[in-house]
Parts: sequence; structure tokens; C-alpha cells
Amino acid sequence: MVDLALKILLHDKLRFTITVAGVAFAVALVLSQVGLFFGLLSNATLTIRHANADLWVTSHNTPNVDFAHQFPETYVNRVRSVPGVARAGNLIVTFMNITLPNGAEEGGVFYALEDFGAWNLPWTVKEGDIQDLRRGEFIFLDESAKRRLGDFATGDYREVQHNRLRIAGVSQEAKSFTTTPVSFIDFRRAQEMNPDLLKGNTSYILVKLAPGADAAAVKAELHRRLPFNDVYTSNEWATKSEAYWIKNTGIGLNAFLAVFLGVLVGVVVVAQTLYTSTMEHIKEFGTVKAIGGSNADIYRILARQATIAAVLGFLLGLGLAFAQKPAVEAMNLKLIMPASTISVVAVGTLLLCLASAMVSFRKVANVDPGLVFRS
Amino acid sequence: MAVLEARDITKTYQEGVQETTVLRGVSMDLHAGEVVTLEGPSGSGKTTLLQILGCILSPSGGDLRIQQKPVEGRSSHLAAVRRRNIGFVFQQFNLFPSLNALENVQYALNLKGLKGPAAKQEARALLDAVGLLDRAGYLPRDLSGGQKQRVAIARALACKPAVLLADEPTANLDSAVGAQILELFRDLAKRENRALLVVTHDPKVRSIADRVLQIHDGRLRP
Ligand SMILES: Nc1ncnc2c1ncn2[C@@H]1O[C@H](COP(=O)(O)OP(=O)(O)OP(=O)(O)O)[C@@H](O)[C@H]1O
Ligand SMILES: [Mg+2]
Repeated sequence: MVDLALKILLHDKLRFTITVAGVAFAVALVLSQVGLFFGLLSNATLTIRHANADLWVTSHNTPNVDFAHQFPETYVNRVRSVPGVARAGNLIVTFMNITLPNGAEEGGVFYALEDFGAWNLPWTVKEGDIQDLRRGEFIFLDESAKRRLGDFATGDYREVQHNRLRIAGVSQEAKSFTTTPVSFIDFRRAQEMNPDLLKGNTSYILVKLAPGADAAAVKAELHRRLPFNDVYTSNEWATKSEAYWIKNTGIGLNAFLAVFLGVLVGVVVVAQTLYTSTMEHIKEFGTVKAIGGSNADIYRILARQATIAAVLGFLLGLGLAFAQKPAVEAMNLKLIMPASTISVVAVGTLLLCLASAMVSFRKVANVDPGLVFRS
Repeated sequence: MAVLEARDITKTYQEGVQETTVLRGVSMDLHAGEVVTLEGPSGSGKTTLLQILGCILSPSGGDLRIQQKPVEGRSSHLAAVRRRNIGFVFQQFNLFPSLNALENVQYALNLKGLKGPAAKQEARALLDAVGLLDRAGYLPRDLSGGQKQRVAIARALACKPAVLLADEPTANLDSAVGAQILELFRDLAKRENRALLVVTHDPKVRSIADRVLQIHDGRLRP
């Protein structure tokens, strides 16, 4: 087959480059903005996804994992007596101020447990032994906190709520949506440091189900026994925390606008360049008809041009998006581009390019083959 | 045998409220293996008639039969008849500038349903017939006017259409080259037993004709 569609595209290399660049720009914009959105959002639920808990008991209407409310710690005993619960433990999540060596204060979100090992928190320990936290005057800080707290090392002392605590170790990857550093401290120590708020209280109860237990049934029973609390599976709880940030910050709107702009730019560039190309080659399309081509033949040419632009533009855009990754990560942000997102963008690119070609097709379908007799 | 029969063809162009009647009842036949020229002054309706005979335009009235089958006005039907039976050569050559000589011919074969290596081989044979096989890889911009028209003739012959129609094929060529091209075209049409109609207002073109038709103000002269 003679590929007239491709030959026409390549005949004007500059315009072809512009078309492909337009698609690539749009694809890169959409992928990086959506990737950034997923990256930011993933920080909102890191602790939920890594904690070794099947169910989370929260106080009623807690909006997200960072903004915890308290309830009596003794509720954990009611949870433990529910059939199907293998084990349950209290978790305090609370904000406390950390004093920096220069005298400034930074907020930190502290996760306080009795047995960190049992709940896989923190999930990556870089230095130190997490069990040391039980001995009292110790904290674990996350490596990512160095951006906010300055450099620190195991063995250093830091002042938290005016208590001098020793850094027993350093974790990795423990971030929160608000970029407030996540730190770890013993459950009792946390209660002592803020007795007004925390004495006799907890923020959450983490629940591990017995093998084979029915999560829905356990959830229902927990709800019956703790009518003034909410109970979520860890997935539900992660979704709720994410939804809170999407709704209450601009990131959802921002991602949506970026996608919208990307689509707009892509469609306009492709429609416009294909259209001017088609108009410039209108006599050739007339010739195609005069020598026996049908409207289907014409559409095949336009569709093929759109597909070529879409495929090349998409691949280039994908490459650009991945090329940005190191720079974005250097800024302590994440680009998360799952295969599902990439596939949706790929299919979307193709469909939008084909739709853009329709603009030209309407013109060419009506082209008068008598054109070829005129000079 | 008449491969094309036109009876009482009329054509009126409608532009807004203004109507221009260009053809006022044209009847003619074309036979296999026959070379006919159509002469007439500018504006007499030659190109219009050619477009109707070539199923590019539908007439306002009259009957057209190609290969004994009536031609209807629906554009999809016209396109199908055109694809099967008609080969066009134009004054402006109308080659595809981005395709080389061989591809120009091959593309026409593709459109008419011949694909793959067979199409390439047939395209080479056609280029050979017009004496241009050694220019197969040239783009139209690197060919002379006469060479372009040879490629166009090879393209028109693709898939052996019964009717070959040419609209002033030599008007853009100098007369010596034009005469050569016309002779080549006539010989090829004769060899393959095709009907060839050449529209011209150049009386010299007569030299190749078996029969000369003259059109004046939308009517054929008896
Ligand atoms: N698409 C059209 N719409 C309206 N009028 C047209 C159209 N095409 C041709 N005409 C008119 O029809 C008449 C005949 O035109 P046509 O092109 O058939 O003449 P011609 O014999 O081929 O002339 P020439 O020798 O100059 O090529 C002219 O007056 C022209 O203006
Ligand atoms: Mg004319």
C-alpha cells in the first residue's frame, strides 16, 4: 500500500513537527499534573496503607487521619472481645511542637503506639531500633523531616512540647499530606506530654482480623458495641482521608484544570494543523476522488494522519513526563503514573486526535472533485 | 461496441438565483478502441461534459449509460462507476507531489482495489509502457511537464478502465512534446482497446482522432 497519508504529513516536516509537539506537550502536561496529584494524594494515606491493620476505629466524623479526635482508650477492650478480632491496639495521632536548635518551632504530627512492631509503623527504619521508644524519653524522626527540622542524627536531643527527648532512630518515607513531618513516640509518653488532651484517651483503635474472619460482620459488631465511633476498613479510611484533601484543597481542581488545559491545547493544535494541512492539500483530495477514491478512502487518510500524530505525540509526551521525574523528586515531590492512567491518556489522545480530524473531514467529504479541472 | 452512451444530456448550473445552462441536449457514443476529440471555444461546455461523462458531475437531464448500465445520480454510485470504468488525465497533471512516479501509479491501483506487490509490479509495467521506468523514483517536482503527463497517463490506465478522458492534456506542454504525448496516449488506448476522448481547443490535436466532435454553446455540431 502506498501510504499517502504519511507522505503528505512528512511533506511538510515543520508542520508535522508542530503537530507532534502539540500532542506531546498536552500529554506531558496531563501526565505530570495527574502524576503530581496522585503523588501528593499518596502522602495523605501512607500511614494507613502501610499499617498492618484491617479496620480502623475512629471517633465519630474524624475527617482524615491527621486531624484526629480523641475517645477513651479503654474502648480497646470492647474491641478485643469481639469475635473475629485477632488483636487491637490504641493509636494516638497528635500535633506537637518541635523546637529547632535555632529556637524556632515546627509542628510535627506524632504517631504514638504501645507496640510499633505489631503494626508495622514505621515501615522503613533507617537507623535505630523502634522498640527503644518504649523506654520513654525517645522519639523517632523521619528522614524527610530534615527539610523542615534541619539536619539531625540518632543520638541528638530535640525539645518536643518543652520535653527534652533523644532521637532513638530515623525512619524513611513517613510523610503526611500537609508536609508536616511524621514522628513516632511511645503511647504513654505522648499522653504524659499533653495530659489535658490525651490523658486516658486514644485517637484510633487499630484492628487486625483473625484469619478467615468476615470483615463486614466484625465491622457491624464493632459498630454495635461502639455506637459513638466510626469503623472503616483501611481502604475506606484511606479513601475518606483522600476525599477530604481533594475536597478541601485546590489539588483536585488544579489537576482537573491542568487536564482540561492539556486537552484543549492538544485538540486545538491538532485540529488546527490538520485542518490547514488538509486545506492546502485539498486539490489532492479532489484528485483522490477523481481517480476513484470514496469518502471512506478520504477518511482513512485523515484518520491515519491523526493516528500517526497521536502515537508519536503520545510516546514523546510520555518520555517527557518520565524525564521530569528526577527533577520533581529532587523537590521532595512524587510523580505517580500508574499503568491505568497511562492507558487512559493513551486512548484519550487517540480519540481526541481522531475527533480533531473530523473537523477536516467535514470539509473534505464535500470537496468537489471538479476542482481538479480548474487551475 | 459502445462503451459509453450519452443521450440528451443537459446541465444547468445554479448559483443563488442565477441559472446558467451550459449543456443543451448532448448525445454521443464512445466505442472501444476509438479515439475521439472534442473541440470548442472557451466556455462552450467541454469540461462540463467531460465531468458528466466521467461521473464526477451528475447531469440536470438526459441518460448516461456506461458499459450498457445506466448511471444514476447518487454520489456513492457515481464514485463506484468512476472507480471501475473511468481513467482521467488533467491539464494540470494533478500528480501527488509527495509521491514519486511509481507511487503515484501504485496509489491509483491501490484505490481501485489492487494491493501489495502485485500493485507495485503493475505500476512498474504501466510506467514502462509510457517509457518512464527509469524515472520511477522521481518526485513530480523533478520531472518535466511531458514526463509528468506520462505518469498521469500511466495512472489513468491503472486497472484498465473502459473509458479514458483527457481535459486539454497538452495545454501546459510545448507543442512538440504535446504531440508526442498525444501519440503515445492514442497508441496505448488503441493497443488496449480503450475508448479515448480528448477535450481540446487546439485544432492540431485532430491529427490523432478517428472522429472529431465539435461543441458550440452547449450543443454538438452535426
Ligand atoms: N461549477 C460551476 N458553477 C457555475 N458555472 C460553471 C461552473 N463550471 C463551469 N461553469 C460555467 O459553465 C460554462 C462552461 O464551462 P466549461 O468549463 O465547461 O467550459 P470549457 O468549454 O471547458 O471552457 P475552457 O475551454 O475555457 O476550459 C462557463 O460559462 C462557466 O462559467
Ligand atoms: Mg475546460
